[in-house]
Amino acid sequence: MTKLLEWLLGVSVVAAVWALVSFDLLDLSLPQTYREVAWPMPPYLLVSFGCYSLATVGYRLATFNDCDEAAKELLEQIQEAKVDLKKRGLKM
Amino acid sequence: MATGVDQAVGLSLVVFSLLLFTYYSVWVIVLPFVDNDHLLHKYFLPREYSVILPGVAAVILLLCIGAFTAVIMWKNRKPKKVD
Repeated sequence: MTKLLEWLLGVSVVAAVWALVSFDLLDLSLPQTYREVAWPMPPYLLVSFGCYSLATVGYRLATFNDCDEAAKELLEQIQEAKVDLKKRGLKM
Repeated sequence: MATGVDQAVGLSLVVFSLLLFTYYSVWVIVLPFVDNDHLLHKYFLPREYSVILPGVAAVILLLCIGAFTAVIMWKNRKPKKVD
């Protein structure tokens, strides 16, 4: 089974369980509070995934290290390349 | 370590997403189990809004992305050469 099929199967199982609980399709008469918690689950999962993504981006932005040596080395290599290319006739 | 503005922006993103997650979690998961005359309900809108507000936010986000794409594509249009 391909990954796509696996994901679609998983998503449809979860969606079926959610629909069963939220809309009481099997007339299970669950307590009202559980139904009230279940029905906003799709937007809740989306919002929490969005929050997780935002937090990850923010955390990695705050902890990304500057690489001073690599920056200097890169500038030197750019200078070398410019000199070399000028010698070979490239107009800059 | 990342410097100045980067750290500030990153930290504010993390704090904002934590606050949003906590508020939304309390709204969706905790509130149904709390008695209707508890003080906590004062701080939260009716529960219908817990689905409507993210929906509105998603629509606005898609509109912004679409508008941005349209502006960029408009700026990059090249008039056809006439032979």
